[in-house]
Amino acid sequence: MSMPIAECALRLLEEEHPIDDYKGRVPRWCTGCGDNAILAAVQRLCRDEQLAPEKTVFVSGIGCSSRFPHYMNTYGFHGLHGRAMPVAQGIKMRRPDLHVFVVTGDGDCCSIGTAHWIHALRYNMNMTVLMHDNGIYGLTKNQASPTSPQGLKSKTTPSGTLLEPINPVSVSLGIRNASFVAQAVDWIPDMLYDIIEAAFHHKGFSFVRILQRCPEFLPGRFDEWVKDPSRMLLLNHDDGVKVRPELGKVYQNLEQHDPSDRNRAREIASTYHPMPVGVLYRNQEMPCYEDLRKPDRLYTPDVIKSVLEKEFDQFTIHPAA
Amino acid sequence: MNQIHSPMSTFHFTGQISGGDLFEIGRRGFQPALLSGYGDLSKLRYDFPLVLFKEGNGAPCIRSLCDVVSEILNESAPTGMEGERLRKSALRLEEAVRVLVRDGNKGSLSELWQQAESNLLSQNGGDGTPKLDEEILKTIRDALPENGEVIDYDEDTPEKVMSHAWNTVQEEKARKFSLRLDELTLKLMNILKGDSMKSATAFDPDALKSAVGSSYESAFDFNSMSDILGTAFVPGALPEKRWRRIQSVLSTLKAQKFFPSMSGKNGKKRRENTQTYIFDHCAPAMEAFRLRLPKMVSLVKAMTIAQLEIESRYREATHDPFFRNYDERYLEADDLAMLPAYLICLRNSTDAKAEKADLIEVLSSGLPIKVLAQNDDIVEQLSIASGKLSFGVRGSQLASMALGLNDVFILQASGADLYRMHQSILNGLTHRGPALFSVYSGQSGKRTRTAKNTPEKPLYLRAAAATDSRACPVFVYDPGAGDDWESRFLVDGNPQPERDWPVYEFGYEDKDMQRFSEMIAFTFVDFVAMDDRYGKRFAGVPRSEWNDLMVPASTFMELDDTTAAGKVPYILMIDENNDLHRVIVEARLIQAARGCQEMWQNLRELGGIDNSYARKALAAEKENREAQPEQIAALSDDVETDVESVSEEFTAPSSDEPYIETPRCTTCEECVEINNKMFLYDDNKQAYIADLNAGTYKQLVQAAESCQVAIIHPGKPINPNEPNLKELMARAESFN
Ligand SMILES: Cc1ncc(C[n+]2csc(CCOP(=O)(O)OP(=O)(O)O)c2C)c(N)n1
Ligand code: SF4
Ligand code: SF4
Ligand SMILES: [Mg+2]
Repeated sequence: MSMPIAECALRLLEEEHPIDDYKGRVPRWCTGCGDNAILAAVQRLCRDEQLAPEKTVFVSGIGCSSRFPHYMNTYGFHGLHGRAMPVAQGIKMRRPDLHVFVVTGDGDCCSIGTAHWIHALRYNMNMTVLMHDNGIYGLTKNQASPTSPQGLKSKTTPSGTLLEPINPVSVSLGIRNASFVAQAVDWIPDMLYDIIEAAFHHKGFSFVRILQRCPEFLPGRFDEWVKDPSRMLLLNHDDGVKVRPELGKVYQNLEQHDPSDRNRAREIASTYHPMPVGVLYRNQEMPCYEDLRKPDRLYTPDVIKSVLEKEFDQFTIHPAA
Repeated sequence: MNQIHSPMSTFHFTGQISGGDLFEIGRRGFQPALLSGYGDLSKLRYDFPLVLFKEGNGAPCIRSLCDVVSEILNESAPTGMEGERLRKSALRLEEAVRVLVRDGNKGSLSELWQQAESNLLSQNGGDGTPKLDEEILKTIRDALPENGEVIDYDEDTPEKVMSHAWNTVQEEKARKFSLRLDELTLKLMNILKGDSMKSATAFDPDALKSAVGSSYESAFDFNSMSDILGTAFVPGALPEKRWRRIQSVLSTLKAQKFFPSMSGKNGKKRRENTQTYIFDHCAPAMEAFRLRLPKMVSLVKAMTIAQLEIESRYREATHDPFFRNYDERYLEADDLAMLPAYLICLRNSTDAKAEKADLIEVLSSGLPIKVLAQNDDIVEQLSIASGKLSFGVRGSQLASMALGLNDVFILQASGADLYRMHQSILNGLTHRGPALFSVYSGQSGKRTRTAKNTPEKPLYLRAAAATDSRACPVFVYDPGAGDDWESRFLVDGNPQPERDWPVYEFGYEDKDMQRFSEMIAFTFVDFVAMDDRYGKRFAGVPRSEWNDLMVPASTFMELDDTTAAGKVPYILMIDENNDLHRVIVEARLIQAARGCQEMWQNLRELGGIDNSYARKALAAEKENREAQPEQIAALSDDVETDVESVSEEFTAPSSDEPYIETPRCTTCEECVEINNKMFLYDDNKQAYIADLNAGTYKQLVQAAESCQVAIIHPGKPINPNEPNLKELMARAESFN
């Protein structure tokens, strides 16, 4: 036997987690909803990586997509609308040993949560962010979101939206500290899986925008791409995602794109015809905020007490008369 | 052949001066010509003196004085005239410190610097040099790093450098260990604290009172509070067994004596009695290790249990028997890596024979024991039966021998290389297994009485010459650096490693003051020529007798017997007056030099320079390529076929059979919603047709229509009696 004692002791406990170990409650999404595909890909990833359920946490905001943590049998935090990222950052700060995932929607991330999103990109903390972009507020039943197509009639825009949608990938690429930006679609499962896997393995804030079908309120929204593989553009690279050979047969539109090339990434991101799928940008050198802020000592009761005393010594307290 | 009995040949073969004007070089202070520039080392900016830094906080722990000063100049000297003045002053001070150290002064860098300052200031301007400016002196002084002890090169340097490096590594280990220990302790205490907060004592009126604090204690009735809280059911109290296990782990952690406990009240350092780890013999080190082994085992166990407890992963059924049986037999180098390594400093004076067996035992033990084997005499006189004397190089033997042992870090160097190789020293000390540092100090055994009358050559020069002359080549074998020899074995610390002997330019003037220069090699023979004990192996030849049969020793060694016949090898040496001489060399010394050359060639091959296997493989490959270019083309064809076969992974069955393109399924629930017996998800949560008989053809067609990615192919119905088949088959058409 040639193995250190700690490893032996853990090996004794070694258990194989089948995919069912990661399944939580039964999803209440509409049938046909693209969220299901994303959930399946994530559960596959957890199984393939054998993530310890007790060391994994899913954090979300509010929305259909944000119900995700309930469907995972791991730790989870179903937060406030738009506030998934600061919660996740807090978790990562205190528990850098956990695998942190954030699940958010286009409303959650690009409307009410925009400020948090931009700053989370800037802080570059190690977590995997899945932004389910269905171009609509689903949970509250059909209100336009910042990524809704121009002219979309919805409950809040009865005569059609006036503005062009924002492009979450371009916005992310605009933040200097961004370290991983990718785009996926729910209807190419293997590619979706590979992109989420690459995002998970990237050390830093990995932002994945996933185009997600909402058959309930925007049926047919992505049909032109779903039905016609020639309208898709698959990005291929050793440093990003390598397109599987069997996919290459159906999706013949491939581009060799080096994810370190931010300028080309911006060009690719700006077009939907064809629709790019893959890792657009990746920079492994970008430092993570939790590493920059790593405490150099242990917060023992003694240390905490002495820090507090020092702080309190700056004040004089007059006891209530 | 008529020259064979010339006095030069006679000397070469017999070592006897038998006529002519050959003369002994013994008492004339001869030294190899290439050393002529190294009269006063304090004038040179080289690797010594060294500054040994304590508590570097990540900064290097060993630096040369010269590098320290250069760095200050790089960082704080302004440009232009002012910068130039600062540079000049700093270099003058550096030289003054060098002189102080040469003259035997000891102390910290700042002490010696201050002394040098006042020495220079007291003669300020008096000796014709420019005046020193107080302001500038202060700038330099402020930039000097603190906590550095200055040491010059002497026979104790290897041991000093090694124990300093060991201490540095040790302190870093202690820091990490203490952090880890504190973390485990804190987290275990938290578990116990959490438990005690659920216990009855936590609801005791007094406990409640002290929790509230004095300001508001009158606002509460702690007795009723205690009554109410005491009735509350608190689930999850620690089982007794677990509580005791955690307690026992905590006390083991607290009792450890391997490192001083750093965490005292208010984070102040508190040094406690710890054990020694530095020894001057192998046996006591092994004995100490053996005695401490049971304590190590229990500490390692306790830390592992603590880790499991903290992560709530201790399972009694599994782990109780595991830890009960775990003893020293299972302890691994990785387990010991966090504990202190042992350092054994061996000097020549220790009884080499007795120590050798122990040393092999230590090195092959796999334990984290580091050995400094300092050699004070590298050219050994071996008496052989016939009474003749021959030479051998002892230093290399030990290190080369250790190469045969597994997992031992080895560094061979001379003391002069210590600074250049200090990173390797640190690597060896952090290596998890044993390490051998074989270092030649530069001494030449006990000095003979006659030798004592001649001025001693600086030890540093002899040590440096040992490296240059390949008498003590530098090499590193680092088993942690990779899996193959290419990454583990390095000889590039040697000058001009691609050559048998390094060559240097040597300049001189003739009696008409005409300047010449030529390239000359520095060989093992030159190294031996520095050693007074072997003066008799050399004979000076007056210039009038120089002739073409005299060849430089390095050239002579390359000649075969026939071409060598009649020729006599010489080296260039200078005397006390700096006059140049050709000095001829005895044959047995040439023989020894050849042995040394061969040893160096072997090492060099191991280090991948001029490697005979590589040479042969290269030649074979070249031949091969020229012969069959088609084969290579065929090879890349193979690769392409592989890719093809991967893409054939999913094959569509005939259109009669119903099927789903499972890999494209987006898990959208549509089909399983229609019939969750006919459609099932596989291990990747993607749909396939599990049982055609579990539903109707109608459901199959409906599912195909609902599937947004259109991957369900209904095929032909299996039950010909199902109603409306005609219509259904028409609808199915577009999905088949
Ligand atoms: C502070 C706050 N404002 C508004 C809401 C109402 N609200 C709930 S979900 C939602 C939009 C969700 O849209 P999105 O993030 O795209 O999620 P989806 O349902 O589309 O997956 C809104 C506005 C809320 N819950 N909290
Ligand atoms: S409303 Fe849309 S996004 Fe929400 S669950 Fe239904 S299909 Fe999915
Ligand atoms: S309907 Fe299609 S995509 Fe949806 S689960 Fe069934 S096979 Fe998969
Ligand atoms: Mg949405």
